[in-house]
Amino acid sequence: MKTTFNVLTVCGSGTVSSTMVAEKLKEALAEKGYKITTTEVKPQQVESYAEMGSYDFIAYTTPVPENLSIPAINAVGFLTGFDEEGFLEEVLKVIEQINA
Amino acid sequence: MSTFDEDLILLGAEAEQAEDILSRLAALLHSRGYVKDSFRDAVVEREKLHPTGLPSEGVYVAIPHADPVHVNQSAIAVATLKEPVSFSMMGSPDVTVGVKIVVMLAIHKPEEHLQLLRNFMKLFQDKELLLGISEATTRQRVYELLGGVVSAQTVTK
Repeated sequence: MKTTFNVLTVCGSGTVSSTMVAEKLKEALAEKGYKITTTEVKPQQVESYAEMGSYDFIAYTTPVPENLSIPAINAVGFLTGFDEEGFLEEVLKVIEQINA
Repeated sequence: MSTFDEDLILLGAEAEQAEDILSRLAALLHSRGYVKDSFRDAVVEREKLHPTGLPSEGVYVAIPHADPVHVNQSAIAVATLKEPVSFSMMGSPDVTVGVKIVVMLAIHKPEEHLQLLRNFMKLFQDKELLLGISEATTRQRVYELLGGVVSAQTVTK
């Protein structure tokens, strides 16, 4: 079973909310026994990064292109704390699918 | 450290659309030299591409901002709105929310922006505080409620 995941976090500038999402995600998933490594990018960089094949999924606060080769999850509720549970459920679902 | 004071607060502002309030807040920052001539257009354009309306507990907030290259010195301008103004939601541009508080961030350094955003995310989960800001009848009250959030940032550079 895979326990380390490589995640792309995306925001408008590729620096601020993507970094916050990355920090929170590492913390939240460490509690569940998963290790997360992240790369913060701008929306324009998403496609080329996703195609590299080394990332497991995307967490975004600004829309990303459709039909990417890896799952993309809206992380705004996680960022604001307004819907942390909903976001984490989606992440865990993606992790289960990867491990299935 | 960002500048935030009572002169950077618009209380009970009226605006037809998001761009109106963005322009007024940008003008306020520009009049005091915190931002460059290009800031206003940069914020408006950015809001179209990467909207910043946020779901919060009870009172919706928007945190418009622009790239640091348009900023001279970090500052924060705030508007409370008399009637909600429609902003697109961060991450879901097709969804609009009626925003009551606009916090415009003119930030010079990304690391400062990050710390500020961390503080603001706590604010957005505090319904009482948001209601207090939204319903404040003096700029002094808004400053009292928000000042702690803004000054709690610890900037390393």
